[in-house]
Amino acid sequence: MPDPNVLLKDNPNQRMLLLGNEAIARGILEAGISIVTTYPGTPASEIGDSISAIAAKAGLYMEYSANELVAVEVAAGAANCGVRALTAMKHVGLNVAADALMTLAYVGVKGGYVIVTADDPECYSSQNEQDNRYYALLSNLPCLEPSDPQEAKDMIHSAIEISEKLELPVILRTTTRVNHTRGPVTYCNLAKPNLKGELVRDAKRMVMVPAHARLMHVKLLEKVDKAKEISENSPHNTLLRKGKTDTGVISSGSAYNYAAEAVNLLNLGFDILKLGMTHPLPEKLIGRFLNSHKRIIVVEELEPYLEVQIKAIAKDYAPDVEIYGKMSKQCFPRKGELSTRLVTEGLAEITGRKLPIDFAKMDETYAQMTKDLPARPPILCAGCPHRASFYIIKRSGGEKANYPTDIGCYALGAAPPLNVGDLLICMGSGVSTAQGMRIATDAPTIAIIGDSTFFHAALPGLVNAVYNNARITLAVLDNATTAMTGHQPHPGTGLTGMGSPSEKISIEKVAEGCGVKYVKVVDPFKIKEATEVLKGALRHNGPSLVVFRATCTLLSIREKKRKGVKIVPCEVSDKCSNCMACIRLLGCPALVVEKGHVRINKTLCAACGLCASVCPYGAIDRGGL
Amino acid sequence: MEFNVVLAGVGGQGTILAAEILGVAAVKDGLNVRVSEIHGMAQRGGAVTSSVRIGENVLSPTVLDGQADVLLGFEPLETVRNLKSASGKTLVILSDECIPPTELSAKNVAYPAMDKIVEKIRRFSEKITVVETERLAGEAGSILTQNIVLIGALAATGKVPVRIESLKEALRELVPAKHVEMNLKAFELGYEYMKKKV
Repeated sequence: MPDPNVLLKDNPNQRMLLLGNEAIARGILEAGISIVTTYPGTPASEIGDSISAIAAKAGLYMEYSANELVAVEVAAGAANCGVRALTAMKHVGLNVAADALMTLAYVGVKGGYVIVTADDPECYSSQNEQDNRYYALLSNLPCLEPSDPQEAKDMIHSAIEISEKLELPVILRTTTRVNHTRGPVTYCNLAKPNLKGELVRDAKRMVMVPAHARLMHVKLLEKVDKAKEISENSPHNTLLRKGKTDTGVISSGSAYNYAAEAVNLLNLGFDILKLGMTHPLPEKLIGRFLNSHKRIIVVEELEPYLEVQIKAIAKDYAPDVEIYGKMSKQCFPRKGELSTRLVTEGLAEITGRKLPIDFAKMDETYAQMTKDLPARPPILCAGCPHRASFYIIKRSGGEKANYPTDIGCYALGAAPPLNVGDLLICMGSGVSTAQGMRIATDAPTIAIIGDSTFFHAALPGLVNAVYNNARITLAVLDNATTAMTGHQPHPGTGLTGMGSPSEKISIEKVAEGCGVKYVKVVDPFKIKEATEVLKGALRHNGPSLVVFRATCTLLSIREKKRKGVKIVPCEVSDKCSNCMACIRLLGCPALVVEKGHVRINKTLCAACGLCASVCPYGAIDRGGL
Repeated sequence: MEFNVVLAGVGGQGTILAAEILGVAAVKDGLNVRVSEIHGMAQRGGAVTSSVRIGENVLSPTVLDGQADVLLGFEPLETVRNLKSASGKTLVILSDECIPPTELSAKNVAYPAMDKIVEKIRRFSEKITVVETERLAGEAGSILTQNIVLIGALAATGKVPVRIESLKEALRELVPAKHVEMNLKAFELGYEYMKKKV
């Protein structure tokens, strides 16, 4: 990772290699955005992390909010006092924030406000692959869609400009291949942040009771009309490649990169209309483009968002134009991530051109060569305290119990050999789905959640459990960080996004305050004690909560290295009977089987000693410090 | 002209840093470049693929199937998993560091022999070099520098359109100051090893 201070260099025209998310952070600094709020989520995390690292120095305010709804609300409050703000989140974060989003669109803003939402086609690190451009359509908010890091930065400028012109929040929709692509970015001047705002009271605009909301809805629709004019003339909506054929391609975002490469690869010479402002669409510009072509091919990531609207525009402007995309003519897949290959294959099918590469033959050889290739899915790290927690949970609840789980590293507990994880929907769903499962099955039910997720979304579910006397157990796997997304702080860590200390909110006290009567804290590496406590929780007649507390192994290893503490790995002694219990029960990546014998990988072993604890023959010598 | 390299490995092996060094070096030399990486859940000991594309007309950050000029394998099985990026023109450079997936241990299946792996790679390309990264990185001072050994080996092929000095400068900028010398040594060892092979 580069030093985040490179983002603070005030040297316009400097060309730097930046990750899309770092480019967005640079855009924040160039556009004079003064308040940044976020909840970490892949692929958006590095936006907040980059800003967090330099916020104090840059003179802006940054926070890791408790969740995305809070993040939008904090920013909306500031933006309504005239301060420029930005909120960054992953795509599903906008579901959490949607309640605020829909009505904030009525209220609007005074200071420019940008909401960055990062879609994740192919679910690289997500529970779904929803297309958040529909939120722009649903809320009537303008939407910009960059295709690379340079555009991502430049569009922050445009978004602030549009936002202040229309007094509306603006959505910047990215996808993984923009957020997590590095490319050259040319800097503009830095702007000075201005955190000084002022509340100008205007209840009719700002207090959304029905009488005001009816009026503001009308205002919003007027703003959408103005936004259409902006879109018609936007430098981001351009005919980028001029061809000489009667076919035109319309594309946006990362899909544009694939479309342009595929058109070149097949030597098609098609015109390409690249849309960077995808809500509202430039209807007249698109209408003219449709009118000057016989055939239109729409290439877009995820849903046929553009295609549906282009078909509606075609009805008025060019009813006879043929439109190819993801709908009636299924030329490109609607699921997963596009690629230059998929677009090339789609274009070849539409045009009847021969593919320049024999992909089918390649696939066949590849399938033959990899048919016995072992999978390598993500797994819990060696030394991860969650592995110990899952071992205890499974021992206590057995096969009969229900194990609804949640979003975080511990979702990996659902995989073999741990197999703890029966239902996973969204942040905070475990504690509430547990209550329904308990009613439906009358079986012991242990919901699993992490510390950051607990503060993000579990509180109403926990209150509900107490209120309705649900006999469930909530196991909070507290590793003192937001591990999966890159170790961000959260309300339980006592550290803010500005790097300053704050009140450490205690999970157990929160639970007690909510009225949970059985609340205990255990060390997951003390197997016997922790198992007794969890069994006690299962016997308790009412909701119970057990905190499994042990710091994320990646952090504790980092800390040990910093202090110069040597990690002595565990070792298999000659008492080993090859029973394979450690392998069968734990699935630790440091435990490997070589020629039928268990061996411990010394580089990977974090000396947690869990394998030593579970070995029935005492044949593993515990490493240590 | 276009140069495409796919970096295939396991989360934690430093593929992202290696890709970034190539990207920063390209920018230093005034070239257009795209680097793709995968963060988040996929990183937790899972299979990871990065790619670097250098060239005036490069837009997509990922490499089209069969179009890698170099497939840089940080782990033998992961090299096989990414063979779709390779074809006859691809130079396959791979590390000899085997990291057995937990699935193999769970089923008590042995890690495939290196010659079997090379045989599979040969179905896609004849141009294969196995680099003793573990030994060379150890010689440099830490087995954690295997990623840099591979970047050194890649530099020695002469295929990367950036200056060696730019690569070293990028390395100096991206590696923690106290580890720079060790990593430069790893780079040199990888470079020399590859020079002798080609």
